[in-house]
Amino acid sequence: MRILVTRPQVPFAWGGTEVMTDRLVDELRLRGHEADLVTVPFKWYPGARVLTQAFLWRMLDLEEVDGAAVDMVVATKFPSYLVRHPEKRVWLVHQFRQAYELDGTDLGQFDESSEDRALRRKVQALDRVALGEATRLFSISQNVADRLERTTGLRAEFLPPPPQELDYRCEGYGDFVLSVNRLDRAKRIDLLLEAAALDSSLQIVIAGDGPDRRRLEELALARGLDGRARFAGRVSAAELADLYGRCLAVYYAPVDEDYGMVPFEAFLSEKPVLTTTDAGGPLEIVFDHRTGLVVQPDAAELARAAGWLREHRDDAASFGRAGKAIAAEVTWDRAIERLLA
Amino acid sequence: MKLAYFSPLPPERTGVADYSALLLPALRERLDVTVVKQGRKRAPRGTDTALYHVGNNPDAHAWIVDALRRRPGVVVLHDFVVHHLVAGMTIGRRNGHGYLDTMEREHGVVGRLLGHGVLDKRIAPLWESRPEDFPLAWFVLEHATGVIVHSQAVHDLVRAAGYEGPVWVVPHPAWPVPAVEPARVAPGPVLGCFGVVNASKRIPELLRAFADVRESHPETVLLLVGPTSSGFDLDRRLQRLGLDERGLVREGWVDEQRLWELMAGVDVSVNLRHPTMGETSGIAIRSLSLGKPLVVSDVGWFSELPDDAALKVRVDDQEVDTLTAALELLVERADVRAQMGRAAVETAHRRHDLERVAELYAAALEEAAGGAKVADAVLREVSEAAADVGISPEDAEAGEIARRLAEVELGR
Repeated sequence: MRILVTRPQVPFAWGGTEVMTDRLVDELRLRGHEADLVTVPFKWYPGARVLTQAFLWRMLDLEEVDGAAVDMVVATKFPSYLVRHPEKRVWLVHQFRQAYELDGTDLGQFDESSEDRALRRKVQALDRVALGEATRLFSISQNVADRLERTTGLRAEFLPPPPQELDYRCEGYGDFVLSVNRLDRAKRIDLLLEAAALDSSLQIVIAGDGPDRRRLEELALARGLDGRARFAGRVSAAELADLYGRCLAVYYAPVDEDYGMVPFEAFLSEKPVLTTTDAGGPLEIVFDHRTGLVVQPDAAELARAAGWLREHRDDAASFGRAGKAIAAEVTWDRAIERLLA
Repeated sequence: MKLAYFSPLPPERTGVADYSALLLPALRERLDVTVVKQGRKRAPRGTDTALYHVGNNPDAHAWIVDALRRRPGVVVLHDFVVHHLVAGMTIGRRNGHGYLDTMEREHGVVGRLLGHGVLDKRIAPLWESRPEDFPLAWFVLEHATGVIVHSQAVHDLVRAAGYEGPVWVVPHPAWPVPAVEPARVAPGPVLGCFGVVNASKRIPELLRAFADVRESHPETVLLLVGPTSSGFDLDRRLQRLGLDERGLVREGWVDEQRLWELMAGVDVSVNLRHPTMGETSGIAIRSLSLGKPLVVSDVGWFSELPDDAALKVRVDDQEVDTLTAALELLVERADVRAQMGRAAVETAHRRHDLERVAELYAAALEEAAGGAKVADAVLREVSEAAADVGISPEDAEAGEIARRLAEVELGR
């Protein structure tokens, strides 16, 4: 089949969606399909630009390319699913969250003016139309599917994407807790720093980069974490596999996250995951005292949980192995079979 | 957003009053709502928009339409046919000319002539004899900045009437099921029919079908609950069909508590209708919540009920036979009843969930308040971009852009 995968592009940004869609194209090609990626830059402000930039996708004609028909489009993330195609499959990474659960929070975008309120509703209306057109609708997590049904009435099938390919291994359970994430406020890295401030024996390594890095580094400095909190920045695949392999546990507790590859990657390295009760998608696979520890979003509780794992390394290993059994079920063979069925 | 809310409310005994009593608390969690006192014809100062609940009953809704005419706003059209309302607001106020003008505007010279016939008492009042042929909805629609309806069928009627403003389909919310003890009126299968007993509820057809069902299933009972319309001779019909002493249990008007008890105690809920005024049935919604299999007429809103929760009976020459077959199926097959009951509950939860309905209301009202500005901003940016690359409004490309905008409901 000739298949196009669509995703928006935020220039200079790179994250889970990019990893997932690049890999999807590769995996489709491996299975004999002619596949390619279509991206369009996306800027969502100010004012109605979120709509006009989204509308660019609607003007694309992807039914045929260079005289040959395109059999299927697989769209992923707002606004790339506005694209038109008679066989439009959507593998929903997420909607425009500022118009939904982030509205009215620090992470929101729309104010209380009648224009902004209407703008937010228009984004929701766009979703109902564009996602309603899909011949099949999948979501990367049950959390995303639930949110979609709550807000639009549309139902999506849960289809988890497999994590990136790394040289996953377990080289024991060291002394540090690893955070792998983009550094922005919603990822809540500051909670881990505050936990380290409360427990002088807790060491952390923070892999990843992002707009919140400076604030987080200043916080670490203010809390006197020098030497115990290392900001590793964007790391190579080999370095990431090494960090996963050596850490005690992996911290992953964004606010109401859609899905998150990180817990799967941690599990493939046989590491337990430390998360919070309000983390959303990760809670679909991180079960308290089975595959990790789930605590209230509170620094003291997090510090206690990390300390407990340090003192119970056999349990940490057991949680990690249980997680690996879950992660091993999520394969590209299964994902693509369902996606194209 | 500050909203002025015009609606009948309890203790008025109308479906719309019950509806608003259910909706208001959930809506207040999302918007700053001021309920306008009955009879007041002006929206309070400082409100961003006004919401007007309009139904066909002039006693309950005339003051609301008066207020709408002073300040246009979003109309919740509970009935598409509002002829009775119009008659009450024109003839009922000694304004025969107003009635004639409305009839002529919506139905031409023929409408005006028929109006004269009504005023001169030469023909029966059209709001009683043929309201569905003369709905007079434009009387309300012309003042609406947006319209909320409960079904796709009424949405289509509003569009067919020429209304070009925004129209939102918002399902009727489901009541939470109260903790009641089901009242069983008979040991055998009980078919329940609730609401005013009259011809438009297809009671004559239901009685005939039930008489047929009783021949093969004599243990079956029909529970008929609700006041009888004046002029509808129920007793004579029952006598004629031999149902006056056997098989029928009759209760008149009952309070809400008793209604739920009786509804919870039936095996099948029958809710027929023809002609339809474009209304939604609160009784059918309650039946869904209770998980009762429904038998309905295949008209209007009722047609849009899911097939796995409701058997639909066409209003045609075979109506009684079809109805008999549907009732027999449900009397005989407990498994079908159970399956349909599960689908009914699922429908109530998914489609008619109160929080979802309130969210749809908030969305519609926020769109109504600021949507025009957003549409202008979108069109301005798109048209400027098109002009920058030399596309003028007359070009085919401009038509393509307009089509694509319309597909995703952007712009106007």
